[in-house]
Amino acid sequence: MTYLSGVKLTSVSKRYGDITAVDYLDLDIKKGEIFGLLGPNGSGKSTTLKMILGLVKPDSGSVNVLGINVEDDPVAVKRKVGYVPESPRVYEFLTGLEFLDFTGDIYGMQLDEKKKRIEEFLKALDLEGREGDMISSYSEGMKQKVVIISAIMHRPELLLLDEPLSGLDPRSARIVKDLLHEMASQGVTTIMSTHILEIAQAMCDRIAIMYNGRISALGTMEELRQKARMPDSGLEDIFLKLTGTGDIKPVVEALMK
Amino acid sequence: MNWKNVLRLLSVDRKSSRLIRGIRFRRFRENKVVTYALYIGALVFGLLIGWLIANFYSGISDTAFKEDFLQGASSLFTTLPTLALLYGLVFSQMGQMQRIGAKVSIQPLYWFPITWAEHTLASILANLVGWPLIISIFICSSISVASVSLGLVPLAVFTMFALLASLFLASVTTEVLKILQVRISGALTKAAGRAAIWVRLLGSIVFFVIFYLIYFSLYYNVSIPSLVGSIAGGQKILWFIPYLWLGIALSAFASGLVIEIVIFSLASLVFIYLLFLAAVRLNVRFGLYEEPSIKISRGAYVPKAGLLGRLGFSFAEAAIMRKDFKAFTRRRELMYIFIMPIVFIIVPIFSAMRGTTGESVPSAFPSFLFVYITLLPGTFMTVALGSFIIGSEGGSVWYIYSSPISAKSLVKAKYFFAALFSFAITLICFFISVLLTSPSLQIIAIGLTEAILLTFSLGMVSLTFGIKGADFREFPRPRMIRPLWSFINGIVCLLLALAIISPIIPYGLKILFEAIQAPATISIPLPELYLYVALSLSGVIASVITYVFHKKAVKNAEEFLLKAEI
Repeated sequence: MTYLSGVKLTSVSKRYGDITAVDYLDLDIKKGEIFGLLGPNGSGKSTTLKMILGLVKPDSGSVNVLGINVEDDPVAVKRKVGYVPESPRVYEFLTGLEFLDFTGDIYGMQLDEKKKRIEEFLKALDLEGREGDMISSYSEGMKQKVVIISAIMHRPELLLLDEPLSGLDPRSARIVKDLLHEMASQGVTTIMSTHILEIAQAMCDRIAIMYNGRISALGTMEELRQKARMPDSGLEDIFLKLTGTGDIKPVVEALMK
Repeated sequence: MNWKNVLRLLSVDRKSSRLIRGIRFRRFRENKVVTYALYIGALVFGLLIGWLIANFYSGISDTAFKEDFLQGASSLFTTLPTLALLYGLVFSQMGQMQRIGAKVSIQPLYWFPITWAEHTLASILANLVGWPLIISIFICSSISVASVSLGLVPLAVFTMFALLASLFLASVTTEVLKILQVRISGALTKAAGRAAIWVRLLGSIVFFVIFYLIYFSLYYNVSIPSLVGSIAGGQKILWFIPYLWLGIALSAFASGLVIEIVIFSLASLVFIYLLFLAAVRLNVRFGLYEEPSIKISRGAYVPKAGLLGRLGFSFAEAAIMRKDFKAFTRRRELMYIFIMPIVFIIVPIFSAMRGTTGESVPSAFPSFLFVYITLLPGTFMTVALGSFIIGSEGGSVWYIYSSPISAKSLVKAKYFFAALFSFAITLICFFISVLLTSPSLQIIAIGLTEAILLTFSLGMVSLTFGIKGADFREFPRPRMIRPLWSFINGIVCLLLALAIISPIIPYGLKILFEAIQAPATISIPLPELYLYVALSLSGVIASVITYVFHKKAVKNAEEFLLKAEI
């Protein structure tokens, strides 16, 4: 079977001093795929996402995004990508509307298109009425909504989402999930890092479990079950087994003493 | 009151500056010797000065001079509490101003079992850590040693207690003012509605101007002996002001007036306690301050291409410039940059007012005042903005990193914002200085041309270093540029500014020599045409500097965007 490659990482590694964040990682993500990156804290998920966007330069290997080598033309890659970082800081002195207007201009959107998209998203994610307030007065969930809108509004071809649904109310989370599915059907590739395993299980076509900077398992839910030899288990049990962190009971018992 | 809690909170407050100073955060180890070096230095220096005074006093053979010296020392002791109060107020207020942009790390953690009294006391003591404490250690150690030889030990002991109480009083006052200021500015912001941004900006500028007016009137061209004299004389006349009661009690102690000592000492302690209680009550009421929501716009959203678009800036460049303008008018910690031009205008005017009382003003003075006011505010603004503008992105810099912005566009947007903004300041200062000094057309040409050249060229120089040394740390307050790069930028800008204005220096000297009617042997004969040649030469030098540093700035920006390791 042939497919178009959305993102391809070849022998990519990154070290911070004596810590290896990503260790010779190979990854090939299809165009239009929703891909989940799971792993314990410090396993290298966020660094991988940043390398894909060109925010972190790999020590070795190459990153190819939508046919472009990230090192060759990072600006061209960024133009095609929507990014939601983990705990994003936004310009709190701007209003929500000003921030989205700023985003539209940065991505070179036409005035009519920008206006239409901003108004649609503000309405969909219940930010109407607060769009003229300074972001400093927004709740964390509202800030997250603004960042998600800024990642999606310019119609990216690749979405890099680091814990995208954190802080969102159920309605908004559902809208974002459905939107991602809809965008995937139109060919938008999504790479999502999350600790909420139910979301990964429900949304992702394929899942990679990272541990110590490497991929310890990769595949569809069924393939992961087979690999873990846990045919009837959910993603949580598979995750704990494959990351070697499954022996929870003695830890809890020790804490309760 | 749990004193352990107070000390722990004080320690947290003191440690909040680690994030600014610290370079290595992994395996962080504090060097306590360095931390306490200034305090130990103040102690050693104080002991040394005290020993020198004692020796000097012992060596005086003239009885009358010895008596005068003793009287002077006694008088100085009695003014120390009031002097400490003034210094304490200035330093603690300055500390508060520096912490305008401080973030959550020094805010009260309301879910911890800490009382407001403990938090307030810790905050008051934290205000004193640093220069107020260093100065008091110096004064206390020197007077303790000197007083033995002077035979003023009881007065020195009382002075030390009064001095520390005065510092505490100053800090309590700052705490009260801090809460009131936050509360009043919050209420004003809320009441102002859509005008909140401008109310906040103007309010901050007015606050800074008042502060600096008080500061300069206290410290500019004021000698310590005259200040001591006026305090010693003023204390008794103004006895009804509680802030002076400690000094009055000390004067009474020096004169042996027991009843006055008791009354004013007790009254001072009661006043300090009541002020502390007021600070606690204010903290209880307003301490957990929620920043009011500021609604900027209510109308329908109409996106516009804008003036910048018509001036040839791309959508992205214009967006960054508009965003930066909003940042500098809305972010409290950036607003203080606006005070710079005002201070630059106030200082020479103060100097002129004080220095020329009863004297004739030199004829060249207005010309130099004109050049000073036209040249310096805009130049300092462009240097400050250029070096801060990248680092001012702070934690939100991920957005710049992840956006499709090329290095050239980033440099263009940041440079033109800094340069155009500073140019506007230069124009305002130019009009003010013309009104104040009525200069000749030639002087106007020199001042304005050089100001514009400096503004546009040094903006690029500072941006180059600002990109290289950008510091995005925001806790406990934004730093924007690393100190080393700020220093390098300052030195380079100074040298390049001298290079740009160098062609005009002979002309300036010619005017000066004519003004002071110097002998013909040192006059500088220059042809009429020289001024225009010099200005053109300045322009060429400034253009070359701007071009060279633009190349370097773009290169720095490319590296900056490539190594965006956030």
